[in-house]
Amino acid sequence: MSVRFEDVVEGDDLPAQELFLARDQVRAYARATDMYFPRFTDDEGARREGLPGMIAPGNMSLGLLAGLVEAWAGPGALCRLGTTFRGLVLPDRTIRLRGTVTEKDEARRTIEVDVWLESDEGERLVLGTATARLD
Amino acid sequence: MPLDLDPATLGEEFDRAVYGPVTADELVAFARALGAPSCYTEPGPDLVAHPTFCVSYRGHKFFPDNLPPSLRSRMSFDAGKDVELGAPIRPGDTVTVVSTLHDVYEKTGRSGTMVFVVVRFTLTNQRGERVATVDNRLMYRGER
Repeated sequence: MSVRFEDVVEGDDLPAQELFLARDQVRAYARATDMYFPRFTDDEGARREGLPGMIAPGNMSLGLLAGLVEAWAGPGALCRLGTTFRGLVLPDRTIRLRGTVTEKDEARRTIEVDVWLESDEGERLVLGTATARLD
Repeated sequence: MPLDLDPATLGEEFDRAVYGPVTADELVAFARALGAPSCYTEPGPDLVAHPTFCVSYRGHKFFPDNLPPSLRSRMSFDAGKDVELGAPIRPGDTVTVVSTLHDVYEKTGRSGTMVFVVVRFTLTNQRGERVATVDNRLMYRGER
């Protein structure tokens, strides 16, 4: 059940999502996007590139944050999503996806939200803003 | 304009790539890897691409040939993406990706001066509808 425009209040939190980011999920994303590179698929290959181990592609974080917004606003509601990749997202760890409503545009019936992906320790690794159109 | 970049370079098309026809299988594989809901993972007449499927298109070359040599030789980092969504991608679609150098700017932070290069992908489908505009922000650290 998607949220209705009338029911949204600035400052509302989106329902947070917590997930264990499995290595195989990251590899599946890398395979599906034709980015099956060592940095996204195996620790040794990633270390040869100076990374601490395999990492999730930035685009995967973008996709997970899009999912956070649409789980709340409904499929097809997302109009815009901008992200800044600040830290490495490592698999085999729990991550949280969170968001907060920052603005309602009554004329356009759109909602602006701040979104972020954080580590289990609460470090914000990916920051973003999104626009969703609601019924 | 940092790096003595010719302003005429901005907005100039440097690559054009055509992808497709899009298959249901590739849309489903992408969406499943993100744990997306059934509207993005169940093959059928209503299947559309996950909204961020559009960022999986990267064109034939990522940078224009006339990017300043001081940047071409250095490693860049993916600093972020800005995606404006248009018509959804559906199975059978053909997607054209036009690449332009959108912006180049410098920022100084605690770790020194950084140069940001923004490469814009404009995606359209076979009906001429805008599918998405994707701004890819690449960051270069340190000295020029």
